[in-house]
Amino acid sequence: MSAESVNQPGALGPAPSDGKTGWRRLVDVPVLFAAAGLCLVAGLLLAFWVAPQDISLGFSQKIFYYHAPIAEVSLLGFLVAFIAGVQYLRTKDARWDRLGMCSVRLGLVFALLVMATGMIWGKASWGVWWDWEPRLTTYLIACLLYCGYFVLRATVEEEERRATFAALFAVIAFIDVPITFFATRVLPQQSQLHPVVITAEDTGMTGTMFAAFFISMAGMTLLFFALLRNDLRVERLKEELAYIKNKLGS
Amino acid sequence: MSLEEGVKYVAAAYGIILAVLVAYSVWSARRVSALEREARLLSTEVERRAKA
Repeated sequence: MSAESVNQPGALGPAPSDGKTGWRRLVDVPVLFAAAGLCLVAGLLLAFWVAPQDISLGFSQKIFYYHAPIAEVSLLGFLVAFIAGVQYLRTKDARWDRLGMCSVRLGLVFALLVMATGMIWGKASWGVWWDWEPRLTTYLIACLLYCGYFVLRATVEEEERRATFAALFAVIAFIDVPITFFATRVLPQQSQLHPVVITAEDTGMTGTMFAAFFISMAGMTLLFFALLRNDLRVERLKEELAYIKNKLGS
Repeated sequence: MSLEEGVKYVAAAYGIILAVLVAYSVWSARRVSALEREARLLSTEVERRAKA
């Protein structure tokens, strides 16, 4: 990019909706945020005003309608980072590195929410803030591993080496994610506090409860992709500005 | 557990969700405005060099 072209409007990349037609406009950041907001509000309204109160867990069960979708979305973030890691190692394309970093960061933000809401719900329904049961322990390990991802990134200065190490780390750390997800299903129920709510045969919920959960799940997933797209755009702009600054300096 | 107690836990959980999401959005917005400021500075610098 020449110094002259930097000064042109839009030279640092098109505005979010510029030149987008058809389905690309549907995945634009403001559209994704609006759809996420609608779904999340609808999910809350259904959860609090339509879905019945759980007989055994009482009113605190209402935490489930956001807690479970946030947990699924945090694991989705780590899955996206795993895919981006594999793709980076195959292609060495810096865009995959950016995607990996942004999805791990978002995965960790959602993980923080899962831990906080989970502890509150744990105190309400089990009487303890924390228990070293399989799901909680493996999830905590995943969180610590992905915190390590950023420690690793901060310690390597050379860009390509940093991206390669980070991609490798994201691929290896992902081993813990299916373990966390299937811990409640594979291990004996007596050894854990987390119940298995949804199975292949039964949702474990009434129709309205499932509708509230499903809509909240859709909302959280849309919110994740809206934040991810936004973060990716910010990171790309940051890199472009650094490149231009470098060019102007030399 | 009584309904009042349940309400406290639920309010705390949803309050934390809202607080974290708002904090993340503010952080993200601050990054965008820092980038915009930097882009404006660069633009001025390019103009200055073009005139010189």
